[in-house]
Amino acid sequence: MLRVAIIGCGKIADSHASQIGRIKGCEIVGVYDREPLMAQQLAKRFPIKKAFSSLTQLLDEARPDVVHITTPPQGHFDLAKTCLEYGCHVYVEKPFTVWADEAEKLIAIAKERQLKLTVGHDDQFSHVSRRMRSIVRNGFLGGSPVHMESYYCYEISKAGYSGALLGDKKHWVRRLPGKLLQNIISHGIARIAEFLVGDSPVVITYGFTSPLLRSMGETEIIDELRVIIHDVDGATAYFTFSSQMRPGLHGFRIYGSKNGLMLDQDQETLIKLRGARYKSYAEKFVPPIVLAGQYLGNASLNLKTFLGNDFHMKSGLKFLIESFYRSIIEGTPEPIPYREILLTSRIMEAIFRSLSESIAEPTRDYGREHAAAVV
Amino acid sequence: MEYENIIDKNDLVLVTGASGFIGYRVVEGLLELGFQRVRCFARSSRGGNRLEALAKVDGVGSRLEIVNGNLLSPQDCASAATDAKVIFHLAAGRGEKSFPDAFMNSVVTTRNLLEAAANNGCLKRFVNVSSFSVYSNQHKSHGKLLDESCPVEQSPALRGEAYCFAKVEQEQIVLEYATRRGISYAIVRPGQVYGPGNEGITGRVGIGTFGIFLHLGGSNTIPLTYVDNCANAIILAGIKHGADGQIFNVVDDDLPSSRKFLRLYKRHVRSFPSLYVPHAISYALCYLWEKYSEWSHDQLPPVFNRRRWHTYWKSTRYSNEKLKERVGWMPRVRTEDGLKLFFESCRVRRTSA
Repeated sequence: MLRVAIIGCGKIADSHASQIGRIKGCEIVGVYDREPLMAQQLAKRFPIKKAFSSLTQLLDEARPDVVHITTPPQGHFDLAKTCLEYGCHVYVEKPFTVWADEAEKLIAIAKERQLKLTVGHDDQFSHVSRRMRSIVRNGFLGGSPVHMESYYCYEISKAGYSGALLGDKKHWVRRLPGKLLQNIISHGIARIAEFLVGDSPVVITYGFTSPLLRSMGETEIIDELRVIIHDVDGATAYFTFSSQMRPGLHGFRIYGSKNGLMLDQDQETLIKLRGARYKSYAEKFVPPIVLAGQYLGNASLNLKTFLGNDFHMKSGLKFLIESFYRSIIEGTPEPIPYREILLTSRIMEAIFRSLSESIAEPTRDYGREHAAAVV
Repeated sequence: MEYENIIDKNDLVLVTGASGFIGYRVVEGLLELGFQRVRCFARSSRGGNRLEALAKVDGVGSRLEIVNGNLLSPQDCASAATDAKVIFHLAAGRGEKSFPDAFMNSVVTTRNLLEAAANNGCLKRFVNVSSFSVYSNQHKSHGKLLDESCPVEQSPALRGEAYCFAKVEQEQIVLEYATRRGISYAIVRPGQVYGPGNEGITGRVGIGTFGIFLHLGGSNTIPLTYVDNCANAIILAGIKHGADGQIFNVVDDDLPSSRKFLRLYKRHVRSFPSLYVPHAISYALCYLWEKYSEWSHDQLPPVFNRRRWHTYWKSTRYSNEKLKERVGWMPRVRTEDGLKLFFESCRVRRTSA
């Protein structure tokens, strides 16, 4: 029985506790939050052995094999380091760390101690993402990716998390170097990082505060971001984060020299984009029919998965956790390669550095733009 | 019958959630009653705009102190609670779907405020504004009276409703501080508070989740309380002798049935199709949803279940007798007038949307 602990008992910890509960062969032996009431409320609602009021007490008494760190990102590095030094495998929620060098250090410690680490990029393990990965591996693109487009949007509203963030000038998200972006975009960046071959892509960034937020008196939060990434092998990628565009997409498109794929995370659809063209007017009529058939196939597959009771909103999280536990028990590779974790961290750091440098000297009165290369 | 105050008009009172739907009316009510030192605690300066506007009204500015802060900060709580004789605690995690967020914004904040008040040492009463949603209503037969003696939900997490969970836990922490630190308290449980500023149709009438409006209330009485009446009840629970350690339900007189409310809404605000779901069927659907949710490990979240049905859609009668007897409350706005004001506000909101 794998002994699991959770550190940080906020919103995302609920998803972890819930999905861990669906996995056989593990139990949650303890939870900890620096606010004891938060730890107690989690322990009341899930089958959790004990809520602890100190981290060392949790690690000493509960002796977990695996620790899930679901705190705000500022705590990730120190907590993960402590847990690794206690001999625990560690699952760190996204973003992995605040700075890329912290990510490097954690991975070095894990390797040295022969422990496993992973990051909460669970969107990459949803049903549709796994289907896409399998199709890409089978050569559908016709070789390496030529271009990618990743969308990760976030609808700002007055309620909930964004309401709390906008209303509180001391909110922890504001203290992150990349603020709102840093807490959200790693899912979308990781999708691109998965298919990059080099370690130092060029990253060109443009970000600004949307007119809506500006009208609400907000000047610190950048909620519109456009990024261009250029890899050493010539592959390029666009990344878009927007709080204003509708629909607020969470999607990914990848194009090879032969064909392309279009993934929609919200609708859980994957569409094959045929590179070759039909002759003459056939190009106007056949592809729409083929696309309609593909959408119907996606709907049918989603329904089948739902009826098979495997279509939970957080099914990607369950798959990732399960894969991580399997890698611990069986000694197989980690579900997310360390190289991908590092590359995601580096790209994000490059984005935030370029934004923060341009804050001092905005190139336009409403925008901030900068070009930077990952070193 | 004489209902004496426990504080005088020059004593400092604190209102948390002061820029909110009910909180703002509490502030107005305290000023109307002649209180000279009203401290308003609001989370952000944006939400406090109308408080600032109120402060500019002649004769109000010197009596109103606006404090922006976050109740999650013990320091902010300590500053807010300093010298307060009565605390009207209305700030809460309303509208939160996440259990941890609702808990944090209702329970952790309340604990911080209680701790600050206990350390402060001059508090005469802490008024915790709770909700009808804390009642379980499970073991009563149809049409029975729900009053302050009725049991609270014992397993609030199973309701599948973050707000209920947070409110039950919030009341617990108030009781704990009353026992452990000697905090004097009153708990106010309003029914469905309505009025300009809160234009939605309560879920007790029905839900629009599935594309068409499902009318679930039928002939049930809807426990409405007009926002001004509710604010007045909260004020009286805070300042009157006889309210100490008491729980008060707040509902108005002459409550409409769900069917009547919906008919009036359609007539005065907008017409839309609705489908009446008889109680037996809504109960069966809630049961099936609950069971499927359990079986599938929450593939469908447990938002519909029997506990929720008992609380919101079971035929129940309500009483405001305790409030009238103990603190001399009377609804100032009749339900008929309140509904007119509410529907007018809904119409304006729709036109300006």
